Amino acid sequence: MTRMTSRLAEPFGSLIDRAKPITFSFEGRSVQGFAGDTIASALLASNITMISRSFKYHRPRGPMTMAGQDGNTLVQIGPEPNRLADRVAIKEGLVVKGLNYWGSLERDYFALLGLFDRFLPVGFYYKAFYKPRWLWPFWEAVIRRVAGLGKVDVHAHHGYFDKEYLFCDVLVVGGGPAGLEAALKAAETAGEVILVDENASLGGSLNYARFDEVGARARVERDRLIAALDARPNIRVMTDTVCNGAYADNWYPLVKANRLYKLRAKTAVFATGSYEQPLTFRNNDLPGVMLGSAAQRLIKLYAVRPGQRAVVVAANDDAYGVALDLLDAGVEVACVTDLRADPPPAPLSAALLKRHVPVIAGVTVYEAEASAGGRGVCAVRLAKVTSEGIAQIMGDRFVCDLIAVSTGYAPTSPLISQAGGTFGYDEASAMLAIRSLPADVVAAGSVNGAYALDAALEDGRHAGWQAMRSQRLAAGDEPRLSAEKGARGITWPFPIFSHPRGKNFVDFDEDISVKDFEHAMLEGFEHVELLKRFTTNGMGPSQGRASSMPAIRLAARHAKRTIDETGTTTSRPPVTQVKIGHLAGRSFDPVRYTAMHFRHLEAGARMMSAGLWLRPEFYGDPKQRAALITAEAKNVRENVGLIDVSTLGGLDVRGPDAAEFLNRMYTFAYAKQPIGRSRYVLMTDQAGVIIDDGVACRFHNDWFYVTATTSGVDAVYRSMLWYNAQWRLKVDITNVTAAYAGVNLAGPNARKVLEKLCKDADLSKDAFPYMGVREATVAGIKALLLRVGFVGELGYEIHVPASRGEALWDALMIAGKEFGIRAFGVEAQRVLRLEKGHIIVSQDTDGLTTPWEADMAWAIAKTKPFFVGQRSLEIQAKQKFARKLVGFEITDRAQAVPKECHLVIRGTEITGRVTSIADSTSLGKIIGMAYVAADQSEPGTTIDIRVDGGAMVKATVVKMPFYDPDAARQEL
Amino acid sequence: MLNPSVVPARSFLYRELQKRGAALGEVNGYGCAMRIGSDAAAEDAQARSLGLCDLTPLKRIGFKGWATAEWLIGQGATLEDAPNRVYPQDDGARIARLSKGEFVILGDLHLRSTLPDRLGIAWSINNASGCFRVPREDASAWLCLSGEHAGAMFAKVCGIDMRPQHFANNQIAQTSLARMNAIIMRNDRGATLAFDLVFDLASAVYLWNALLDAMTEFDGKPVGLEAVRGLG
Repeated sequence: MTRMTSRLAEPFGSLIDRAKPITFSFEGRSVQGFAGDTIASALLASNITMISRSFKYHRPRGPMTMAGQDGNTLVQIGPEPNRLADRVAIKEGLVVKGLNYWGSLERDYFALLGLFDRFLPVGFYYKAFYKPRWLWPFWEAVIRRVAGLGKVDVHAHHGYFDKEYLFCDVLVVGGGPAGLEAALKAAETAGEVILVDENASLGGSLNYARFDEVGARARVERDRLIAALDARPNIRVMTDTVCNGAYADNWYPLVKANRLYKLRAKTAVFATGSYEQPLTFRNNDLPGVMLGSAAQRLIKLYAVRPGQRAVVVAANDDAYGVALDLLDAGVEVACVTDLRADPPPAPLSAALLKRHVPVIAGVTVYEAEASAGGRGVCAVRLAKVTSEGIAQIMGDRFVCDLIAVSTGYAPTSPLISQAGGTFGYDEASAMLAIRSLPADVVAAGSVNGAYALDAALEDGRHAGWQAMRSQRLAAGDEPRLSAEKGARGITWPFPIFSHPRGKNFVDFDEDISVKDFEHAMLEGFEHVELLKRFTTNGMGPSQGRASSMPAIRLAARHAKRTIDETGTTTSRPPVTQVKIGHLAGRSFDPVRYTAMHFRHLEAGARMMSAGLWLRPEFYGDPKQRAALITAEAKNVRENVGLIDVSTLGGLDVRGPDAAEFLNRMYTFAYAKQPIGRSRYVLMTDQAGVIIDDGVACRFHNDWFYVTATTSGVDAVYRSMLWYNAQWRLKVDITNVTAAYAGVNLAGPNARKVLEKLCKDADLSKDAFPYMGVREATVAGIKALLLRVGFVGELGYEIHVPASRGEALWDALMIAGKEFGIRAFGVEAQRVLRLEKGHIIVSQDTDGLTTPWEADMAWAIAKTKPFFVGQRSLEIQAKQKFARKLVGFEITDRAQAVPKECHLVIRGTEITGRVTSIADSTSLGKIIGMAYVAADQSEPGTTIDIRVDGGAMVKATVVKMPFYDPDAARQEL
Repeated sequence: MLNPSVVPARSFLYRELQKRGAALGEVNGYGCAMRIGSDAAAEDAQARSLGLCDLTPLKRIGFKGWATAEWLIGQGATLEDAPNRVYPQDDGARIARLSKGEFVILGDLHLRSTLPDRLGIAWSINNASGCFRVPREDASAWLCLSGEHAGAMFAKVCGIDMRPQHFANNQIAQTSLARMNAIIMRNDRGATLAFDLVFDLASAVYLWNALLDAMTEFDGKPVGLEAVRGLG
């Protein structure tokens, strides 16, 4: 076990619970920490400074920000890759590994790549591997081996992720001093305020930064604000929560643990703070080089001493606060090097002088020297700052194991940019500053240029008031704002120092150094968006938080432009990592069951999807699929079968104009359709393309019950409503699909079965002929009876209230038992209807099929003044058809059997495709439907169909229907 | 205990209810879950905390059309013009006005209301011009979600803010619920927050399970009709 070195005494370590030790493993070693520790803090407490290796050169890396803002701490946790070690809290038994090594984290064979960096400039991927083409598979394997961030375990247990909607009057993002004040002020008049912070505890910089000589003020302010917050029940606090983007209409995704909250806020206050920026010098990526704020977080939050001997690099007074904190934590501060030639007097620097720490002005760290294996820092070399980005090497060398850098900031701008705010460069402060904000977005704190603590608190109060003013609910006078906000003189304008031997990194994610930028710009990639993409700067896990501004500064200097002229890159969601689980789960996948669903399952049905519905494909063992389908179909032809047709659409069209309405919606004529009769309906769109079919059953002069296809009914219903909103006919349309359970009782014995259960209707051929419809009672259930014949046998569709569907099914199966009734599924029905030559819309038709092509001219009324699609069909009728839907048969059983969508070929020309095909037991041959060229449509024509493997199969065009052409069986 | 397979009318959920130990009694020709489990007091408390009850066996009926409001008023219904509101009736029934011309009428939990039946008998296509019957009793399932956590639970399945301070009693939302069209009516039972959900009958099993999954976080469970009746 790797034991912790001693932690700092309280009050250091505000987040850890020293009474709760936790053990986890890192790289196979057992490591101990405390509850509240992150992986990174626990490792550093155990003197493990190297957490991972870099992506390209496999350089050792340790924490830089301790705030989840850099990619140095990406680790693999069990099956999960790319977790940030400085954000993930330790748990008992956690298994953690570093990333990007071959061998071990300590001894990585790929680290040798760093020796060849001169041969691996940015963009070398694009230039090196694409020729010769045949060698690409080799390079691909190599690149895949070398590249990547962790490993996805495809066998990992699926986590439970879900989503939740949230609503509030004011969203405050950022729980630092400005955010807390903003929430408190807004809550005075707002109904609901939600305060979001990505950290485990509220307070922001009040938790770790030093604002006064003795370091007491931060805690006082934090305690005051938290107490005030506790007294406001209308503020909901969400810690450990990331606002991961800003979308239109004030939609904000909040990610907390395994849940994605979808928040709508009337107004958003972004108090997102600022990113402390690194300094670019040689070997600035070594473990042990970190931001001053990172060192403070380690001390204050986790009671971890970040090093034994430190050099602090300063360009503002905050750095002196860092030095003071290091001293308080028992770290020897070798010196403070201040980039400023003449640092102005300030409270913290004055305090440090009293502690006798040497301060060297006008000097930068020029190079960090690596300890053995590059796993840490052993010394620094200093250089005198002579001009922008140029430093003159000095002889000074300081032995140290920690370099703490506090040389400037950049506003945390992504959310504001995504919400529609704009930023421009403020030369006076050397930082981006807000230029404009949308009406319902407010900024507060350092993201708004208020860096001094008092200014941030003031700005927060003002923002809260402003948020409520935008809702016309502001209370009291506008809070005052001081002119001085503390933004000037805290950020070094060009924190990048060249070094002849390079390794001065701008982007740590992709190991992009200063010379990489220079090379890219010399190649012409000068525009910041091009520079970003060519170098991949800012495209890694840290998304340019530390590298974006240095890159813009380099581009501006190269092009001799101002930073405003150079511009910034576009910020897009997500702001930080988002798991696939958050996007995918918990998803809702509605499924619809018919009333008889469970009866089908009990009978061993193999279910298939039909839109949202589930339908029986066939009944029985899937291994005997073909035989079962054949047997089901045979039983319908020879005996009686029962199929669940509840999924077919049902529409009640009622009112005095019902017949006129159908006349306009469908191609056939309905005005004179007798009551008690059904008639085929064919729907075309305005282009004359077939979009649906069914039957219209007239039960009353003002009432048609119209069926539609399973998948088409919703579109048909919408279309009917849309048209009647314009026509304003006296008609009501109701989608009653779910209200009815329907079955088709079909076969020569169908009447005998039904007669046992239906006593109030004469079912004889003469009294209830083919295409007749009746209201009757079946098995004691009120029903609509439709004599239709989709499968080509004597048949009755029986539609009953859905709640009675299961009872009807049971009664029919019992009544039919003596006749050998058997349930049949969709596949048997497909065979049976194909034998009858009935099309299935969307299987035998496509997005271009007209009634002319489908040989359905019989379904078009010639004398109607109007129906949807009529004009197009009239035009098409005068033109030649390029294709036609025909029936075909294959009698030579020695040939391969084509499949649906196999192509019809003539010479080198594709003339059509197979739409339906089946082995017809009734007919003893293969039958099908296919589109063919118009001149191939004559019965007797031989067509060639190309099957799997490229073989050609001969088929003969025949007249449909294939079965019972005189329709004698269905009209029994 | 009633065997639901011997009655002609069957809620799509009777198997789900049986799996959870429901005691079924006959209500309007259906097997209706009167109690679930053996601890009635705990079940009553569940309904006050977060309970889901299948009310599909209870009476309901629908009407729509340009002259429907007038016809309903002519039949003695009490209505106002505002849509997306529930109008309680003297006999305990509730009329949900979905739009200018569309209505759902829900019977009461104690089966005392006669309005749904009276309207069903009175209506005929021959005597109600411009008013058309909608078979809500067959097309739509009916669930009741009750309890103090109901508003918060909705946030997991619905984009409308259903918390009691934002969604008034007798208010209606016609919206997407777990990706399904649904009519959500706030109909408090006594002092307990309660919502009636009317939605596609064919999706009853899907939505039942989707809601129970979402309710798990709040220890929500199915309850029987008696538990909801007990709310007042």
